[in-house]
Amino acid sequence: MSRLDVRDLLIDVPGRSSGRALNFSLLPGQVWGVLGPNGAGKTTLLHTLAGLRAPRGGEVLLDEQPLERLNRRQIAQRLGLVFQERQDGFPATVLETALIGRHPFLPAWQMEGAADLLAAEQALARLDVAHLSARLVSTLSGGERQRVAIATVLTQAPALWLADEPTNHLDLHHQVAVLELLAAQASAGRAVFMCLHDLNLAARWCDQILLLYPDGEACWGPVASMLQPAALERLYGQRLLTSEIDGSPVFIPAR
Amino acid sequence: MHAAETATDRRRAGPLRSLGWLLGLLTLVALGAMTLSVSVGSSALSLVDVLATLSGQGSELQRTLIFELRLPRTLSAFATGGLLAVAGALMQVLLRNPLADPYVLGLSGGAATGALLAMLAGLGGVLVSGSAFAGAFLATLLVFGLAHGSGSWTPSRLLLTGVVVASGWGAIITLMLAVSPAERLPGMLYWLMGDLSYARTPWPALGLLLGVSLLLLPLGRSLNVLARGPLQAAALGVAVRPLEWSIYLIASLLTALAVTSAGSIGFVGLVVPHMLRLLLGNDQRLILPACALSGGILLVLADTLARTLIAPEQLPVGVITALLGVPTFLYLLHRSR
Amino acid sequence: MDLSFARLRRRVGLAAALLGLAPALLAAPICVIDDAQREVCLQAPAQRIASLSPGATELVFAAGGGERVVAVVAFSDYPPAARALPSVGSHSRLDLERLLSLQPDLAIVWGSGNSAEQIDALEDFGVPVFYLEPENPEGIAQAIERLARLSDSQAVGRQAAEHFRRGMAELAEQYRDAEPVTVFYQVWNKPLMTVNDAHLIGQVIRLCGGRNVFAELPRQIPRIDIEAVLAANPQAILAGGMGEENRYWLTEWRAYPGLQAVQQDNLFFIPPSLVQRPTPRLLEGSRLLCESLETARARR
Repeated sequence: MSRLDVRDLLIDVPGRSSGRALNFSLLPGQVWGVLGPNGAGKTTLLHTLAGLRAPRGGEVLLDEQPLERLNRRQIAQRLGLVFQERQDGFPATVLETALIGRHPFLPAWQMEGAADLLAAEQALARLDVAHLSARLVSTLSGGERQRVAIATVLTQAPALWLADEPTNHLDLHHQVAVLELLAAQASAGRAVFMCLHDLNLAARWCDQILLLYPDGEACWGPVASMLQPAALERLYGQRLLTSEIDGSPVFIPAR
Repeated sequence: MHAAETATDRRRAGPLRSLGWLLGLLTLVALGAMTLSVSVGSSALSLVDVLATLSGQGSELQRTLIFELRLPRTLSAFATGGLLAVAGALMQVLLRNPLADPYVLGLSGGAATGALLAMLAGLGGVLVSGSAFAGAFLATLLVFGLAHGSGSWTPSRLLLTGVVVASGWGAIITLMLAVSPAERLPGMLYWLMGDLSYARTPWPALGLLLGVSLLLLPLGRSLNVLARGPLQAAALGVAVRPLEWSIYLIASLLTALAVTSAGSIGFVGLVVPHMLRLLLGNDQRLILPACALSGGILLVLADTLARTLIAPEQLPVGVITALLGVPTFLYLLHRSR
Repeated sequence: MDLSFARLRRRVGLAAALLGLAPALLAAPICVIDDAQREVCLQAPAQRIASLSPGATELVFAAGGGERVVAVVAFSDYPPAARALPSVGSHSRLDLERLLSLQPDLAIVWGSGNSAEQIDALEDFGVPVFYLEPENPEGIAQAIERLARLSDSQAVGRQAAEHFRRGMAELAEQYRDAEPVTVFYQVWNKPLMTVNDAHLIGQVIRLCGGRNVFAELPRQIPRIDIEAVLAANPQAILAGGMGEENRYWLTEWRAYPGLQAVQQDNLFFIPPSLVQRPTPRLLEGSRLLCESLETARARR
């Protein structure tokens, strides 16, 4: 199992002053939720944690080693990323797409074997898209594509999941299914770090929360201490009504 | 739907096995095309004569025709076609654009400028080839340097740089044609249209084609991942920047050698990879070796037509590939919507 | 349509000139038929001639009008005196402004070489145009005679034309019953190009008792491949070349020792300027070509 340590990290959002340096650790078993309005830098943070973007300051350690000292393959064997935007310049089938999740583990000369195929098929079945295996990804609906993208990372089976809006485009049932899947990953000893827009889903499935303000200010901590109505209202600039159902806080926007 | 099912089943059987079948089949077709190409020409030889000559008999004239003229030219055509198709497939992955071709970044313009300068200076033979290669190399460095410039690099930036540099080469070529003495013009025009009678020896091109095909096999899966975009590829463990520059340089080297040996032959590099993707899907481990063979087959057949359609008069092979390529490509484009 | 309009305008122009220059009417206009079968009339012998192809320049000089040439085009290198004359661009793209500023009173044009639009423009500006396109030896002789009339140098022209005619007739006589020799004439090497029977060089080959192996091809300068030459297996190979003394095209044929021409060493260089332009120098070129074939004949 792996851990990710963030030390004095300043993410590089163009045209914005650096704001608060981030210091936290993503540990096995944890589910982190990143909340913030549009443009607060959630995607930039995720890409910086994955080493796809250089920070303005500080460092990210993957199992005690700075990311920049690891090569992409070593990182990809432990850390998987669900992107919010995907390029489909070239046609590819659903099964082929899921199979590329095995790329970090296969030597250059080796073709995907039966075990890899099985992993991909199981992942597709888990996301309820196995019946689409032979379809071209470009012909799927937005929600189906989102589930194929998650199945690809599930095939990759990383110890650390970074997910950018994993519930995007999904209907209610599939939103819950995906969050259940991520929670199950965490309880199996992996760690999940995801950006979310839905406060209620965050309240229900996350145990750690990071609030990212548009001016670069940030705060983080256990879910109960972070989901305070006043802090959230300042975060979104939106008045909220709060209640509690089934042991979790529920927020709805005030009219 | 049923067809899609069987396609999946075939893929389940393992890409390795379908690769074996496919390459076996294409190799047979390639051998057939080459046999045809060696058997026909402006002087009539029967298949029996050809086989007899290949097995060491035959008259001196027949041996000269086959071993000194048709066989080297056929092998050159095969190698050139293969190089262009592989270079096209690589450029398409590099630019994440299925409509890119080996010449899109202005490499053929550089090569043509070099070759025409040599012809204008009255040089011949090896010097024209050498000058073409130098021009191609210069064009590559120029686009590489300009697109790399400030550090930020995207396929669209590379494409734009290449297209603008290519139109610059085009202007220089037009200028040279305008000031050339009339008797030099036919040679220059034939070179620009692509013509295999310039090919001297097939061995460097064949060697490079084989070498690069083997070198690309282990890179195939990384290219598959790269085709999904640089961020996705990096997240899946691909060292994106080194891979992109290596395929740019490899594709440039392939194109440079192809252009050097036969002038700028159009459409092979665009149509062959595109057609194979429509037939075989998008696995580069299948596409790249299949491109090497199919590009070769196409150019061998096109050159055979160029040599024989109005024999003993000759057509430039570039005209044949364009005449075959344009309608095929438009049809495929139309069908794929 | 455009052409006839231009002609009309020219005639109106001429009529105006006639009224203004009544005394000149005492001399009858000089009229000749050009190679486009048009009648070209001048009121007075041309004094300022624009010669718009290298071949035309040679012919005008041969006809005795050399001193009246005021403009030539690029590559007009014979006779040497032509090199000193002002050039008005390449034959395919004339510098009309420069040409008109030289005030020519006659333009000798090359229908298949000059641009048709520029010739039309010249006519619109009132410059009389003479189309020159000799297609056979007799055409060359007649061209010299007609040009001599236009430049009022009939004596020189008649002599030059007769000399050429006589020389060609002597060659024809000499080789009339010569044994045929099969010949391949190489115009260019990359791409490999030859001539057919209708081409001037093809006619000279026939005159010298040669049999052009590619006589029957439909185009005048067809592009062929080496294989076709090997299959035709000519007894002699004649080649021009890029420079006047550049013989490497011929040595390249030695790579095919099976060729009869190579075995008998019948590889002959013919300076291209002597045979590739329709000019009186064709006589010298034809003699060389005939001698080469005679040598080949003797080696059988």
